Amino acid sequence: MCARFRVTVDIIVTEMIAFNRMTLPFRAEFSLAGTRCLLSTNSREVMCLSAPWQAVSSAPGAPSFQMEIFVGPSLASDTPAIPHFRGHGHLVFALLEPRSLLSFDLLRRRVTGALSPAAACDSYFWNVQLLPIAIGLLGTTMGVAPLHCACLDRDGSGLLVAGDSGAGKSTLTAALARRGFTVVSDGWTYVSRNPGRLVAHGLFAPIKLLPDTVQFFPELRSKTPKRTLNGELALEVDPANLFQSPVRSSAHPRWLVFLERTSLPGCQFVPCRPEHTIQFFERNGEKLPPGLPEAARARSEVIKELSTCHSWILRTGSDPMQTASAIEEFLSRE
Amino acid sequence: MALLEMGNYNDPLDPLRRFVPTPLRTRFRMGASTVMVESNDFSLLPTFSLDTTSEDSDVPALTWKLVRDFDAHGLIQDPLTLMTGQLTVVGMGPACMLGFDHGRRELFCFIGRDVDSKTFQEYLVPFLCRISGKAAEPKSWETVDGVREDALDA
Repeated sequence: MCARFRVTVDIIVTEMIAFNRMTLPFRAEFSLAGTRCLLSTNSREVMCLSAPWQAVSSAPGAPSFQMEIFVGPSLASDTPAIPHFRGHGHLVFALLEPRSLLSFDLLRRRVTGALSPAAACDSYFWNVQLLPIAIGLLGTTMGVAPLHCACLDRDGSGLLVAGDSGAGKSTLTAALARRGFTVVSDGWTYVSRNPGRLVAHGLFAPIKLLPDTVQFFPELRSKTPKRTLNGELALEVDPANLFQSPVRSSAHPRWLVFLERTSLPGCQFVPCRPEHTIQFFERNGEKLPPGLPEAARARSEVIKELSTCHSWILRTGSDPMQTASAIEEFLSRE
Repeated sequence: MALLEMGNYNDPLDPLRRFVPTPLRTRFRMGASTVMVESNDFSLLPTFSLDTTSEDSDVPALTWKLVRDFDAHGLIQDPLTLMTGQLTVVGMGPACMLGFDHGRRELFCFIGRDVDSKTFQEYLVPFLCRISGKAAEPKSWETVDGVREDALDA
């Protein structure tokens, strides 16, 4: 049975923004985790902010996505908001501020957003929220797999640190940075398959440490915790500033460590098989919509190639500094 | 019992609530189109004073997926509408976020737990009809080859 109805539509006051060449006259292009971002905006501030990113050119043939950003004074608000994300099928919506709205179209590889003037010229907002979210959502559609792990570099070889939530990955990353490892990423690493080898990308997001890690890093005592996107209170650390540790935007993964806490003292490195790596990252990967089978396939291919790296389960009952020292010593023999 | 389970939906691998089951189904006519409605909440099935007619299998169909978002609190706010290419996205705060894909004739809408049935029926349903009304006129969103030219790419 079908029903027929008649409905009167009241006039609803709505702010409407049409995205086209007229409303977004400024254009820029920059590299982001091995992809090419084609930015359109109406904001000179956004253009100025993106100038440093434009200095990094993309590899020829790099997959691209569009980012359309409209900035309007009417979107300003003093009310703080909790970030809110929802998605269905190929669409994801995000509220990052009370009056900022973003949509991510995975099918057409397009990010569309209306931002407040404050958000538009806030480099923290772009570097820690918008750009990581964009590549985290769209990455799989461009062959870039967002993996929940940290990445560091030692003399040209990449080390990925994975583990279940709460295992202490970020604390260990900070401890390794203090020992002179180069930080590529903490939390999320964006891995792509370039011809011949894997590339792990970071987006210069800070290392997020729980407030109680001050016991290991006295230099953090003067820092104030911030509320992060997932609602946790965390100390955000720029390793370059705090530890004078070098940072870089990418590395070639060679080693992979799965961190596990144990009550036994000391560190034990247990070699693990490729199946362990595949199962770990497939099990922890966000579910992808069935309408994007090629995205799931691309992620699986990256994980499969990653499983050929030298991998160990690291069982540690030592503190992060001792564990970092053990890793440094172990890798020096590899 | 099934509805209770939906209210407790909490899949750590689905933080965006993409896979909330929507087993409740209905359909109605809007202009020249049939609207297929899916939801996880009886109160989100549109109620109209209906004239039943015979089922037309050849009329173009739109899909509305209306998800009661039990984790989103608060009342709906003034809409902010973004229109780009084949997509219209509307944010009314966490209490209501929706997107309509004109090319695929699909509307997705998340509706917070504090949005009552009266607000839904009297405010949101007409709004959803207006948003998706364009799709009832296929030629307005399609070019000769069936794909609407994107204003930005033109």
